Amino acid sequence: MTDRYERSLYAEDVSVGDTSPELVVEDVGIEDFVRYAGASGDFNPLHYDQSYAEAAGEDSVFGQGMLTANYTAHLATDWFGLDRITAFRARFKDRLYPDDTVTVSGEIMTVSDTPTGAEVDADLVATNQDGTELVTGTVTATLPEHPDNESE
Amino acid sequence: MPSKPISELQSKVGETVKTVNGLRVEAGKVEEFANAIGDENPLFRDEDVAKAEGYDAIPAPLTFTRVAYFDRYRPDDVDEGLGFNLGFDQERVLHGEQAYEYERPAVVGDVLSGETTLTDVYQREGRRGGEMTFAVYVTEFRDEDDDLVLTERVTRIETGVADEEPDADRDEVDGA
Repeated sequence: MTDRYERSLYAEDVSVGDTSPELVVEDVGIEDFVRYAGASGDFNPLHYDQSYAEAAGEDSVFGQGMLTANYTAHLATDWFGLDRITAFRARFKDRLYPDDTVTVSGEIMTVSDTPTGAEVDADLVATNQDGTELVTGTVTATLPEHPDNESE
Repeated sequence: MPSKPISELQSKVGETVKTVNGLRVEAGKVEEFANAIGDENPLFRDEDVAKAEGYDAIPAPLTFTRVAYFDRYRPDDVDEGLGFNLGFDQERVLHGEQAYEYERPAVVGDVLSGETTLTDVYQREGRRGGEMTFAVYVTEFRDEDDDLVLTERVTRIETGVADEEPDADRDEVDGA
């Protein structure tokens, strides 16, 4: 287990305006769309069959929107911890194409005190290499107080 | 425009359909899903890691319930319309938004079932002309004790004209 996945974020650590580490997914390819098709059950050929896509009037196959949404969910999970997330939302803005590099980032928008810590709302955005927004989203997480502070 | 009048669509708001049966959260499927989304976290692969972090078992990634689209978990009469025939032209249906609320993480060993309620239908003028029709579906996923695990909200849009934005995700057009 690496440091990256250690639970390091507590209620005392977060403030409005804090930004997440960036998650970068480099050179997405059709193989990624195929893998997600198999994992999720979304076998729409627009995502992997170039001639089908062209017959449908598209220039190219493109990724499942939920795949891009998953990159934002991945960042949220790394940032806050899976079991602290109480809500996640993704809105589909633009398409993910083969050879795109996706960068996901987040910013804390609100922090509310709770009896056991804090509830945090953050905005998330996944952009391509041109800065085009592919998915925007939000995540809500409940963070406990740091264990060292609980007994004081 | 859908092939049915908006009043007929709106009369279905509030109806609930059983849409997910026996969705067993399996360790192999969880790892495959994590691989597919490029998440290398050992939490999704190693039960010891999961237990050390306080989980009962390996948890599923946040959007794992997309797996419910496999035929195995769908009642026979549920198609891509999630059990509601709204008369949408499937070639013009886009996925606008996807949202979740979690009571707890779904974990390996859970067997989930789901009921979907059509919660809203409305129309709006598209940016390039033509009426866009929005449908909002809310699915409650429950465990074998009938306790709520998570709620999923899907917004689908039938666009008024071809290539209306948002056009990022056509994953329910004719998939599966």
